[in-house]
Amino acid sequence: MATIKAGSIRKGMYILFKNAPYLVTKTDFLSPGKGSALMRVKLKSVLSSGTTDFSFKSNETVEEVDVSSMQMQYLYLDGDELVFMNPDTFEQQSVPIDLVGEQHKLLIEEQQIYVLMYEDKPIGVRLPEKMRLKVALAEDADGGNTVGQARKTVELETGLKILAPLFVKTGDTLIIDVATMSYLSRG
Amino acid sequence: MQKNWSALLVREAVIDAIRLFFKSNGFHEVETPLLVECADPEPSIEPFSTSLIQASDSYRGYLTTSPEFSMKKLLAQGSGHIFQICKSFRNAEPVSSRHNPEFTILEWYRVDANYNDIMDDCEKLLKFIFDYLEGKKLLADFRFDLSSPWEKISVAEAFQKYAGIEELLLHDEEKFKSMASKKGYAVESETSFQELFDQILVNEIESNLGKTRPTILYDYLAPQAALAKKKSSDPRYAERFEFYINGVELGNAFSELTDSKEQLARFQDQNRARLLQGRPEMKIDDDLIKALSKINQEMGGIAVGVDRLVMLFSGKEDIGETLAFSARDVFSLDQ
Repeated sequence: MATIKAGSIRKGMYILFKNAPYLVTKTDFLSPGKGSALMRVKLKSVLSSGTTDFSFKSNETVEEVDVSSMQMQYLYLDGDELVFMNPDTFEQQSVPIDLVGEQHKLLIEEQQIYVLMYEDKPIGVRLPEKMRLKVALAEDADGGNTVGQARKTVELETGLKILAPLFVKTGDTLIIDVATMSYLSRG
Repeated sequence: MQKNWSALLVREAVIDAIRLFFKSNGFHEVETPLLVECADPEPSIEPFSTSLIQASDSYRGYLTTSPEFSMKKLLAQGSGHIFQICKSFRNAEPVSSRHNPEFTILEWYRVDANYNDIMDDCEKLLKFIFDYLEGKKLLADFRFDLSSPWEKISVAEAFQKYAGIEELLLHDEEKFKSMASKKGYAVESETSFQELFDQILVNEIESNLGKTRPTILYDYLAPQAALAKKKSSDPRYAERFEFYINGVELGNAFSELTDSKEQLARFQDQNRARLLQGRPEMKIDDDLIKALSKINQEMGGIAVGVDRLVMLFSGKEDIGETLAFSARDVFSLDQ
C-alpha cells in the first residue's frame, strides 16, 4: 500500500476511504473563498455499489490501494454472482453482479475477462470499451415510410435486448458500446 | 463553428448587461494595470511573476490576482462608485471545473456604503442580467429563482444548521480540531483551523447553498477577511459575504477596511504566514496604504467571477466550456 498526497489523486486510482477501498471516478480542484486547496473526488465503492463525494485537503495523506487484475474465463451466472475461472489453476472466483452493474449482460460464456482483485477478493471486472456480440434473434422489420433513425429491438446471444438499425439480421455480429450498452456498428 | 459558441454568445451578453447595469446606476467604468510591482500578499494565492525590462534595469513585476488595490487607489482620489471587468491571474491552482489560471473578474466599489448595499447590488445585477439574456432569447432551462430577497444565512448559522457545529467551536481552535477529528477528518500536526473550516464548508455546507435561489453566506470569522472591516457589534466576525448559486461561490464581498494602519498590520501578518510556508515575503504596496489613509468614508466592494456567471446562465458545468480557449486547450493539459 502506498501513501500519496490527496492533491495527487487521479481518476482511475483506488484509494482507501473510511477504511474501505474505492475507485476514483472523477477529481476536481477547489479553492473555497480565499482559502485552502481542496481536492474533490467522486468515489465508487468496490465492495458495494455505493458512490460518494468527498473533498480532501490537497496536502493530506491518502492510502492508495493495490488492486490487481487477473485474466479469467467467464463461466456462468449463478444467482446474483458471476462465476469466473482462472484458466491456469482452474480455481473459481465469484463476483457479485452489483459490482459489475448492468454490463454483466454483455458477458459471453468462456470469454476472457480481467477480474479485479483486492486482498485476494474479486471486486469487479475490467471490461473493454467495445464488445462484439452475435444477434440471436432479429425479426424482419419493414422500414415503411420511416425516415432517419428507425430502430428495432434485437436479442443478442447473451439474452440482452438492444435497439439496432432495421437492416440487422439474425446471425450478424454487432459492435456494442459497453458504457452505454448500445449499438455502434455491424462488426 | 467553435465548440463553445453558444456559451460564448452568453458570455458576450452577460458582459454587455453588466456594463449597462452599472453605467445606468451611477458607476464609472475604470481600467487599472494588470502588470504591477506589488502583488497581494494573501498566503493562499500565488501570482504569476514576470519582470519589466528597461534598458539595463530589470524590475520584478506580477500579473494582478484582482484589480482591488488599484481600484482602492482610485477611490482614495475621489473617483466615486467604480466598476471594472478585467482578466485576473492566479498561478499554481490546478485547472479544474471551477478554476482557470486566467479568468475574468468583475469588481465594483460603492462609496458611503457597506456590505449590505453590495448585497442589494448583487440581487439587482443578477436579475438584470437574467432579464437581458431572456430578452435576447439566450436562456434555456434556467431553473433558479433570482427574485429578491435572496436567502441569507450567517457563517455561524450555516455551520450549526448543516454541520451541527456550535458557534462557540468556531472560536476555539483546539475544540474545533478535536470535533473535526471525531467527524472523521484528517487532523495532522500541521493541519490549520482554516483548512478544516474550508473542508467542512465544502463537504457539509456548500451543497446546501443556492439550491433553487441564491444564498448569501455572511459574517466570516475576522481572521478570514484580510481586507474587510470587523463587525462593530461583534469583532470576532468581519463584514464579508459570499453568494452562492447551485453550491458554487460566485462572489466575495466586504465592507472594505479603510484603516491604513490596520491594513498594514494585516499585510505584515500575511507576510509572516508566507515565510512560515517557506515562501518569500511580498513587497507591501505602500501606495495602497497611503491611499487608504486618505479615505474617510465607508466603502463596500465585491469581486465576482464572470466566467462562473457565464457557467450559471449557459448551464455549463465546467468553466472551460465558457471560454474560447481554456488553459487546458492552450497548454494541452491532461483532462
